[in-house]
Amino acid sequence: MTHKAESMVAETTQADERQSEKAANRSYAAQVLREAFIQWGARFGLFWIAVLAAVAVFAPFLANSHPLLLSEGSVISSPMLQYLTMGDFVMLAVFITVVVLIFLNIRFYKKVLVLFTTGSVTAIIAFMLVSPPQLTVYDQYRVKQAAGAYDWVVHAPIPYSPKDYIRDEGDTGLEAPLASEERTHWFGTEENGSDVLSRMIHASRIALGIGFVATGIAMLIGIIMGGLMGFFSGAVDMIGMRLMEIFEAVPTLFLLLTFVAFFERSLYVMMVIIGITSWPGYARFVRAEFLRLRQQEFVQAATACGLPLRSILFRHMLPNGIAPILVAASFGVASAILAEATLSFLGLGLVDDPSWGQMLNQAVQSSTFNWWMALFPGGAIFLTVFAYNLMGESLRDAIDPNLKKSAG
Amino acid sequence: MLLQVDNLKTYLRAGKNIVKAVDGISFTIDKGEIFCLVGESGSGKSITALSVIQLIPKDICSHPDGRIAFRCGDLDGNGERETLDMLTVSEEIKRKVCGARIAMIFQEPMTSLNPVFTVGDQIIEVLQIHWPEMDDAEARKRAIAALAQVQIPDPEVRIDEFPHRLSGGQRQRVMIAMAMACEPDLLIADEPTTALDVTVQAEILRLMKDLQERKGMSILFITHDFGVVAKMADRVAVMRKGKIVESGSLDQVLHQPQHDYTKQLLAALPENLKRQRDLQLIDNPTPIAVAENKIDEPALVELKQLEVYFPIKKGLFRRTVDHVKAVDGVDLKIPKGQLLALVGESGCGKSTLGRAILRLIDSTAGTIAFNQQEITQLQRKAMIPFRRDMQIIFQDPMSSLNPRMTIVTTLIEPMAVHGIGESKEERIEIARKILERVQLDGDHLWRYPHEFSGGQRQRIGLARALVLNPKFIVCDEVTSALDVSVQAEVLQLLMELRAEKELTLLFITHDISVVEYVSDEMAVMHDGKIVERGPTADICRNPQREYTQNLLSAVPRLIL
Repeated sequence: MTHKAESMVAETTQADERQSEKAANRSYAAQVLREAFIQWGARFGLFWIAVLAAVAVFAPFLANSHPLLLSEGSVISSPMLQYLTMGDFVMLAVFITVVVLIFLNIRFYKKVLVLFTTGSVTAIIAFMLVSPPQLTVYDQYRVKQAAGAYDWVVHAPIPYSPKDYIRDEGDTGLEAPLASEERTHWFGTEENGSDVLSRMIHASRIALGIGFVATGIAMLIGIIMGGLMGFFSGAVDMIGMRLMEIFEAVPTLFLLLTFVAFFERSLYVMMVIIGITSWPGYARFVRAEFLRLRQQEFVQAATACGLPLRSILFRHMLPNGIAPILVAASFGVASAILAEATLSFLGLGLVDDPSWGQMLNQAVQSSTFNWWMALFPGGAIFLTVFAYNLMGESLRDAIDPNLKKSAG
Repeated sequence: MLLQVDNLKTYLRAGKNIVKAVDGISFTIDKGEIFCLVGESGSGKSITALSVIQLIPKDICSHPDGRIAFRCGDLDGNGERETLDMLTVSEEIKRKVCGARIAMIFQEPMTSLNPVFTVGDQIIEVLQIHWPEMDDAEARKRAIAALAQVQIPDPEVRIDEFPHRLSGGQRQRVMIAMAMACEPDLLIADEPTTALDVTVQAEILRLMKDLQERKGMSILFITHDFGVVAKMADRVAVMRKGKIVESGSLDQVLHQPQHDYTKQLLAALPENLKRQRDLQLIDNPTPIAVAENKIDEPALVELKQLEVYFPIKKGLFRRTVDHVKAVDGVDLKIPKGQLLALVGESGCGKSTLGRAILRLIDSTAGTIAFNQQEITQLQRKAMIPFRRDMQIIFQDPMSSLNPRMTIVTTLIEPMAVHGIGESKEERIEIARKILERVQLDGDHLWRYPHEFSGGQRQRIGLARALVLNPKFIVCDEVTSALDVSVQAEVLQLLMELRAEKELTLLFITHDISVVEYVSDEMAVMHDGKIVERGPTADICRNPQREYTQNLLSAVPRLIL
């Protein structure tokens, strides 16, 4: 172990030296990222996605009918924590690890490894230990608070859960933003009386989750298939191309509709279907890159040194061909979000949980046009897709040497 | 005096840095004279040419000082000759001058013609821009005449061809025809033959000289090749780092060089390296001389009727209609310890042969034996033990190293696969030693390839081949991308290592002078076949086959 540590030290000191050197000596990835995010569009995109990610992770802390903290007969308790689910814990753990890893100076694949371990370990622990109560009565807090049973209560900034239907409070569920004197609904309420902002905050999890997971699945299959096709070419390439054409011929939306009609409405099924129908795009990129790289002399040299196939494919070729795939991925995330929104809009999304598309659907189905129910979720979908497209576009410009202004 | 350049300075802006590409040079070109600018890459010779014709975009270059006086023919039709300063002249006049009075030929004939127009269209366009009154029939006649003048066969037919139907040499002829169409006073030729084969190069050079003499024009000829200089130039200027270090008549510069840099450059030419070695050999015969007697040794590499065909597929069912015979029945024995040079022009299959021996390309027929063991059909896994003994070094120093890996990773990964060295730090130590052996700093291990120059990268390529301690190395055009002085260093290093480690080398090159310097034996390849093989000295002195004779006579030589 000592020699590893030593070489690590050597590597990091070298890294420090390099950082102090001129910009020309920066690694390619750092250079591309720098160039991409120097544009205001990409910065806006990144900012919006970061905000969205933070909101999604901390959704139970931001919008919850369960008080964050309360003191009842001088016993302090946190109903919010009691009601946290396994998913909430995993998300929190992953988010914290990501933040820590960004500032840690270790190799990329190690970071991925650490991330996966923390994620799965938290999932297992949470699965065994966390059991939120099955029954939730949101009104109990309001009734008790009105009766003065609490010494003090700390509410979430938006004190309404997404499924807290406060129909019984007033005559009608629908309320325009800030229409009521007693309750503050920043974005109004939908027809069942639940808070639109709270629903949107919780729905951002679905939007981000489906984008990342579906694209992740597609990228994984695409990179492996495209890599093999590009490296071996010949018969492998032929079969792979035909397989890709078959998958490309499948209309994703109708497959999703069929699945939803026949089976249950599950978010995971949606992710998988979007993932396995959109991999051919990535595979084409990887294949083209690998066909080019295969002729490169450093790959030939690696073969001539007798390196194992795994190393040639994933250490020598993939890092040199990954850039266009990342660009495609950021567009892919946007289209996955749109697919889910479309499906929910058609009324075939998740039954119970709110999603942005489903909220738009509610706006349309209502007998009167309630602008707040259309504007806010619609705006969120638009901004998110726009943000991903902006990032994708400036990444594409950054890796395209033809668009670069160069001297001489 | 046609062109007078006074204290020209051209600074290029790259980001915030300013590169002094041309830093105060002065020269003159008389009418009817060929003036050669010679220098290594980055010396600013191309920028000088582009400055004269004002082709560098204004937003990246500036001329803080200098004057380019061009005495051009009649521009406004009043019969007077006038002198223009190309640096200050208006855009309108510049357009009239460029193409008509000053024309330029570029290095890369493959990309300097527009692929979507026929060659005729491109020549006619130039003619009609400069002589708007010329009608189509007349312009076409002139274009055909221009093509005939550069000896394109059947110019009446070829004028309607698209550039991709012409060979590299023919395209360069079309470029010359285009440049000559308006009968310019000054032709700027920027490395016009560097991308061409020697035989084609010889024809183009002969053509240019011929046209120049007939039309009485002047040529500013830019090159890095002293052989070409010796053939073309009336006067020569040697450039280095944006400055002219020495200039004078051809004879003066080549035979009585005054400046140290010129002397160094001339001494680094392979012809001179050979002469120096031969002189040393007379004093004390070294083991290299003994190596020539090793013909009886068992062959380390033996090829029998080796064929590499690439199928040409056509039609709906991708049926194979024909083959490109890259390697077409080659028998070759390379005895242990020999340095065999494989010479041929581009497309003759020499690189394919080199890669087929290492099983980087699958052969279609024939056998390859390494150390008496047949390896032709071995699977990937079974090849691995042989990989240790057979290595390759590539031509292009830019693409032969993985840009995303530090040098140390590149060097120790193969060692780990083949079980050389016990631990990581032992391997790093080996890598450091080898890096020092190829005359690089041991601390360079931690750098990335883009931080090195071309020559340094080629040394790293050499180091990568050496880490496995191979018996046989294929050197595929290892020095063609390098400047002469760097080439000399790399070649000398290779020779030392060969003697030290008793390597067997297959040295693939197109450069006859390098062959004469390095090799004991040479084989000449043409159209996938080996046409002649024998001791280098014999073949060079007395070639038997017609192809070899043509090839050798085409080489521009510097007689010293």
